[in-house]
Amino acid sequence: MAPLSICINTQTPLVQFLRPDAVRRRNGTPVELSALADGVDYRYSPGGVTRMVYPLVRRLLAENVLSEAHWVALNPHAPPTVRAGGMTLHNVTIEGDRMGGYGKVKEAIWGRVHEIDGKDPHDDLFWSEAFSEYAYYNRRTAELIRELDAQHDFDAFYIHDFQQMPVGQMLATLKPKIFRWHIPFDAAVLPPPWRSVLTGYLDSYDVLVVSAARYAASLAELGTKGKVIRLYPYVDPDDYTQPTRAEAAARCQEWGIEPGDDVALLVGRMDPIKGQDVAIAAFAEVAPRYPRLKLVLVGNGSFSGSSEGLGLSKSAAWRSHLEETVGRAGLTGRVVFTGHLAQHDLDCLYARCRFTVLPSVREGFGLVAVESWLHHRPTIVTERAGIAELIRDGTNGLLFDPEVPGELARKMELLLNDRSGALRARLVRNGRETSKICSLDAAETAEREMLIALAEA
Amino acid sequence: MTAVGIVWGWVVPYLPASVIVAVTVLFAWLVSLVVGRLLRRSSPRMVGAGRRLGAVVVGLIGGTLALQALGVNPDIVLIVIVLLGATILLALREPLGNYGARYFSDLYTPFKVGDTIQVQGYTGKVIEINAMTTVLLSDRYQLISVPNAAMIRDVVVNVSPQAWKEVTIPVTIGGNVDLPTFESDLLKSLSKLRTRLDPRFPPVLSTNARSAQSTDLILTLMLRRPEDREAITADVNQRVTEVLDRARGARR
Repeated sequence: MAPLSICINTQTPLVQFLRPDAVRRRNGTPVELSALADGVDYRYSPGGVTRMVYPLVRRLLAENVLSEAHWVALNPHAPPTVRAGGMTLHNVTIEGDRMGGYGKVKEAIWGRVHEIDGKDPHDDLFWSEAFSEYAYYNRRTAELIRELDAQHDFDAFYIHDFQQMPVGQMLATLKPKIFRWHIPFDAAVLPPPWRSVLTGYLDSYDVLVVSAARYAASLAELGTKGKVIRLYPYVDPDDYTQPTRAEAAARCQEWGIEPGDDVALLVGRMDPIKGQDVAIAAFAEVAPRYPRLKLVLVGNGSFSGSSEGLGLSKSAAWRSHLEETVGRAGLTGRVVFTGHLAQHDLDCLYARCRFTVLPSVREGFGLVAVESWLHHRPTIVTERAGIAELIRDGTNGLLFDPEVPGELARKMELLLNDRSGALRARLVRNGRETSKICSLDAAETAEREMLIALAEA
Repeated sequence: MTAVGIVWGWVVPYLPASVIVAVTVLFAWLVSLVVGRLLRRSSPRMVGAGRRLGAVVVGLIGGTLALQALGVNPDIVLIVIVLLGATILLALREPLGNYGARYFSDLYTPFKVGDTIQVQGYTGKVIEINAMTTVLLSDRYQLISVPNAAMIRDVVVNVSPQAWKEVTIPVTIGGNVDLPTFESDLLKSLSKLRTRLDPRFPPVLSTNARSAQSTDLILTLMLRRPEDREAITADVNQRVTEVLDRARGARR
């Protein structure tokens, strides 16, 4: 089969520009990313979506499954077109006064799906003035994709995540459209007036991809017409470094982690759904019995919250709340906030920690558990995460029910009391095996088969 | 004779005709505006057609007067136009009837592609509405082609579930109207009617056909109560026309 030409659409762009004025497009030509300095002119966006999509596209281009890939994303502080590693990035800009309405709608959907915004059910969301801005952004995106399609005649469109849901309906094309839903999906938590709206959007796609079997079942329950496929999210193991023990120890000392300290690590952006408060509460229970234990929280705001992104910050308020909680619990100095870390620094913390925790209120999947396995570290995961369906408690990880008080603290103690290291060894050994299911190699096979089947159909 | 005198001598004979043309253009614009206001609550496509028709009639009258001012006998021009028009109408009576019916059925007949309808004793799912016919697919996978004229002349029953709820309004926007802005403004305006519409189905604007000059859109709304159909259709038509006018104003 001839290589395919595809158009990818995400809200979060692959790269964020740190000095937008310095990289304005000159003479209408695309900016070459290779001519710019990583960390100075731009940085790769944090977060699972871009982390997954980029290596996959790179691999599919290298394997000649794809002939070209165009990636459309919201990036107000970027030049219109950027060439990056065989891909062309197209940046959508919307006016600042429309951003607020757009942000309001996407946060409302996010909050509802993650069940963290109980006060306002947002029954009228799709009738609100804010929704007209959400529609504006999606139509602006769909129009750009349509223009690109007229130039490049794509074979398929791959739309990612809930922010972009209406794009499929707005793209009046007969070509195959795939939609990947990255966050949790439980039809039962949707307000009744939303169900027909979401069904209308989702039915405009030929294939719906979700990250866990239970989400696929829930989509079926909603009555969507498109084919639903469960594909596990993935990481590229080659993206991670394995620092030496000395290197990791030295780097960690900069965050106040001394050589004799034990570290419980939580990686996730500063957001209530990531459940840092749950981890702090559990840590407060075990801390008196383990005086050398420290809880390290890694992460900052998302693309939406950062000044290089959409400037819809909620992370600062959440971090202040957490710091106050830590202060009230008398744990100042034992809970470390590192903010966002570059990959190698994060690898140092993985190498230094005793175990990782994924306590999210709800989590579409939870790739940090896979990262933990790749670094030979056991992980404690909430049953509310998509990855929980891959974990057998006590075999390749530890599961906890967030509804049961003290359960997370009890699982932490299991690992802290594992003097022989037998439990840890078992969890790591089996976890490494499980991580192969969530590797780029596995994903490449599955995604290639899906794309080819769809294009041939 | 000076150069100015020569030019003036050349211009003077055409001056009355030029004034008539200028007044005609102005008057055509005014008529188009007035027709637009009078048809405000009709379908936006009907409003557009009415405005164009008004402008064309004024243009024809003005053109005839301008020809007369130039010394050309307008009777001959009028006779040629009338004869040509009559010939075309006679020769293309059937296809024009179907084409016209397709145009009006788009506006006034409550069915669309995907609906199941009964017409002239046939029942089937509408799978295509082309310039001449509406194509139905029967339960036995037979293709039934019904001339569009029949859709206006005969009784059509839409038997799709909840068909009574759905109101579809065709809208055509110029190629230089910004679609995202138009859609956003329209949704904002239509949100005021939310208590009259089914809360589960917010308005949806979908693109039907596109060219460099224009984009054909379909606005779909779902009613809460069947008896509101006429009033809501009129109100929505007016809102669409207002948003379109604003979009055109912004463009100018």
